[in-house]
Amino acid sequence: MQNANLFYHKTVVYSLVALLALPIAATLMYSFSSQWGATVLPDGFTLKWYSQLFSDIRFLEAFGRSLFVCVSALLLALLLVIPLAFVVFYYYPGYDRLMNLLILLPFAVPPVVSSVGLLQFYADAPFPMLGTPWILIGTYFTIALPFIYRAIANSFMAINLRDLVDAAHLLGASTPKAFFYIILPNLKKGVLASMFLSFSFLLGEFVFANILVGTRYETLQVYLYNMRQTSGHFTSALVMTYFFFIFICTWLGSRISKSNAL
Amino acid sequence: MSYVNVTGLSKAFGQNQVFSDIEFTIEQGEFITLLGPSGCGKSTLLRSIAGLNSVDSGSLTVAGEKITHLAPQKREIGMVFQSYALFPNMTVEENIAFGLKMKSVPKEEASRKIARIIDLVELKGKEHCYPHQLSGGQCQRVALARALVVEPRILLLDEPLSALDAKIRKNLRVQIRRIQKELNLTTIFVTHDQEEAMLMSDRIFLMNNGQIVQSGTPETIYTQPANAFVAGFMGHYNVLDRNSVLNLFGLDSAQAIAIRPEAIYIREPGRQYPAQMTEPKKAIIKDHQLLGSVIRYTAQIGANEVTLDALNRSADALIPEGCPVELLFDRNEFQPVGA
Repeated sequence: MQNANLFYHKTVVYSLVALLALPIAATLMYSFSSQWGATVLPDGFTLKWYSQLFSDIRFLEAFGRSLFVCVSALLLALLLVIPLAFVVFYYYPGYDRLMNLLILLPFAVPPVVSSVGLLQFYADAPFPMLGTPWILIGTYFTIALPFIYRAIANSFMAINLRDLVDAAHLLGASTPKAFFYIILPNLKKGVLASMFLSFSFLLGEFVFANILVGTRYETLQVYLYNMRQTSGHFTSALVMTYFFFIFICTWLGSRISKSNAL
Repeated sequence: MSYVNVTGLSKAFGQNQVFSDIEFTIEQGEFITLLGPSGCGKSTLLRSIAGLNSVDSGSLTVAGEKITHLAPQKREIGMVFQSYALFPNMTVEENIAFGLKMKSVPKEEASRKIARIIDLVELKGKEHCYPHQLSGGQCQRVALARALVVEPRILLLDEPLSALDAKIRKNLRVQIRRIQKELNLTTIFVTHDQEEAMLMSDRIFLMNNGQIVQSGTPETIYTQPANAFVAGFMGHYNVLDRNSVLNLFGLDSAQAIAIRPEAIYIREPGRQYPAQMTEPKKAIIKDHQLLGSVIRYTAQIGANEVTLDALNRSADALIPEGCPVELLFDRNEFQPVGA
């Protein structure tokens, strides 16, 4: 009876996985095929599309820009959120509820709406913001905020923050020393996991990147969009590279959050 | 002048007065306990002594130095927390070394001190373990070692044993007391467990509602409770009000009377009792609790209920509920107590 049940469950799960994996597998195969038109299977396999992609300077630049924007946004988030969360949890634990509300606010407005708002707001700014990476970094910071804050807040909750800092104080450490020697090392796991997950999320963000900056500072997402008219094999190779990168980041993120080693 | 002097210490959180006008002195090498029910202000008082909470008024001196408003880093006070508060990212050795590192103690001297303290708390072989690899008792010993290695002027222990199971607790309290005596360390221990307080302390300060209601040696506090609260908290005392005392014993007492459960006897026919015993009083057994070597009975006597302890000599000796008995009270053990 149990075996029959197990078989049934496995069938359902594997069918679903197969269904979801099918388009990705097809794209992967398409990216490796020299030509795949009128026949069931491709005519032949080649690495041509990948070599073409990795020799395209525009792709490499877009990739670099995406990395720069995402990493900057995440570093900014970390720099601001870690001390903030420390202050909230050590000095004013009651404010955690208010923080939870505040960090969710960016999600209350759909990206299309807020990007139009940002466009209008910065149109007359005394310094140029639209079309620069800076506006994108600022916007991505707000998107990453909930992930980063929650992960850090959870790390703070997992340790007995007040007692640890008090113990460090009594052993002669100043608050900054207590923070660097005791608190920061205990946040490492939560911070890394949330960084990788937010990174893969930000790398796939399209609406803000396209509306606020577009081709003036072409990021990977916008490059992919602009390449849609070229060869399907080429864009498949691009999509697979993209997927692979995001997959690695997500995998690293979830692996770190599960591991006990750190 | 005593080693530790606490004068008029008060603390309020908003409208809530946590403790007020606390006064006591401690001699060097003394082990004293702040005992009291949860929420009586004893932990906050301890944290104030450590400098982790500010105080509203009063003063605190240690070895002649006024430390009332000194930062915790500069007080040279060690503390062991109920939650252990071990640094999870550090090994046992690194945890213990932390205080020495903060004080920039030379490496060689630090290693010598660490080795000695690890020996003292019997943690040899665990130096490279992380806190999550240790049992509760071991964690608490690391916390103790970490507090002791910097040679504090006072050691504060904030309910260090309450998260541990009974057997480890018993071992550890013996060990803490041994180490304290060996190092002649002035120690303030906080607990809500009166048995623990009586076993470990040189003196007990019993607290209630932010006040010290009685202080003295464990013997004094147990045998001469100052009021009904102390009597109730220390030893399941029976507190009989004036009218009951008058009705039961014909005594016109100015105050209520507290009687310990072990000072009440169930009359056994044919047995001789000392002269200080009252006349036998008729009572009915209402309930009993088996406490191992002792059976604690609840008996109805007139309008009052009293608890009394009898030695659990044999299974046949158990008196069933509803059984009429005669009770004898030891007059010498009558303790007049305030309300």
